[in-house]
Amino acid sequence: MNLFQILAVAAVTGLFCLSLAAMLRGWATRREGLAWAVVWLATGLAILLPDLTTVVAKSLGIHRGADLVLYCTVIVMLVGFFMVYARLRRLRRDVTLLTRHLAIREAAPTSPTQPPPGSPPPANGSQT
Amino acid sequence: MDTQPEVFDTAAHVSCEPCEGVFIVIPAFNEAPAIGAVLSELRTAYPNIVVVDDGSTDGTAQVARTAAAYVLRHAINCGQGAALQTGIEFALQRGAEYIVTFDADGQHRVEDVAALLAPIRSGECDIALGSRFLGQSVGVPPLRRVVLRFGVLFTRLVSRVNLTDAHNGLRAFSRRAAQRINLRLDRMAHATELIDQVRQSGLRFKEVPVQIRYTAYSLRKGQSARGAIRIVLHYLLGRVLQ
Repeated sequence: MNLFQILAVAAVTGLFCLSLAAMLRGWATRREGLAWAVVWLATGLAILLPDLTTVVAKSLGIHRGADLVLYCTVIVMLVGFFMVYARLRRLRRDVTLLTRHLAIREAAPTSPTQPPPGSPPPANGSQT
Repeated sequence: MDTQPEVFDTAAHVSCEPCEGVFIVIPAFNEAPAIGAVLSELRTAYPNIVVVDDGSTDGTAQVARTAAAYVLRHAINCGQGAALQTGIEFALQRGAEYIVTFDADGQHRVEDVAALLAPIRSGECDIALGSRFLGQSVGVPPLRRVVLRFGVLFTRLVSRVNLTDAHNGLRAFSRRAAQRINLRLDRMAHATELIDQVRQSGLRFKEVPVQIRYTAYSLRKGQSARGAIRIVLHYLLGRVLQ
């Protein structure tokens, strides 16, 4: 076992324990905790047994294990970016709706010109 | 499936009919230097002015309060599309019969508002869109002209609606039309989104020639070519994600 493997496995083991602990203490949901634990377990295995990735890669028609790891990483990252982006947009929309709700609720006629006679009474902030 | 809007004659309809049911919605972001003049010009003809201050940091709201009937304030900057939608919803709550959107930077002429309202009042259409390229187009700077042409082309491609000027801030809606419009794209891509919704809702629209006053100020605040590319990307992502 070389120096890199010792350091990396130590780090990954720490992260593995952390995700389990987070799950048990309720900081993360069961599904999140388990998903991360599986990720760290796979990472640790790939570091300890690099040949294992090559075996899996060969079975998929890829020659080198390192390539398989690279492809997986890129795919996971891209999907992750897209999901975060979609979530940001939803959040952005919610912020806009909230801002709009507040703006309309707090709108007061600050009026130099009086509202015209016969116009409906001021809405009392209830959103329809 | 191209829909060709007809040309409308401006000169015959400049006189103002009763303006009580007309709500002018003005989205404004950091327009303090210009909005005062715009409001004082508008309020002589239209009592119901709704300024939506989109989180400005330069005292736009204070200036607006001295001259507009209603000032709504977005606590944070949400973009022009969001500000328009806020103003439209507020105007509808106040019983608006007609809603006109108007830019805060002084590029529109007050007399064009009546021209936009005329075909809606006569029941000819539900939405009137201002076009600077119908009739005489005066003083449009060359680069701005190119950018706007691309805007028109883009709208034609994605919305399959044939317009001469897709990105003019001066528009008029009947109450019924305003109720059907729901702008969800916060920033500038709302212009194309609006056309999409008009087409899908089956509302009748028409382009009306208006003039744009290009000043050093309004040009600085307008869209650059780079801004236009950003808008296109924003719109396309919005179509994919919503």
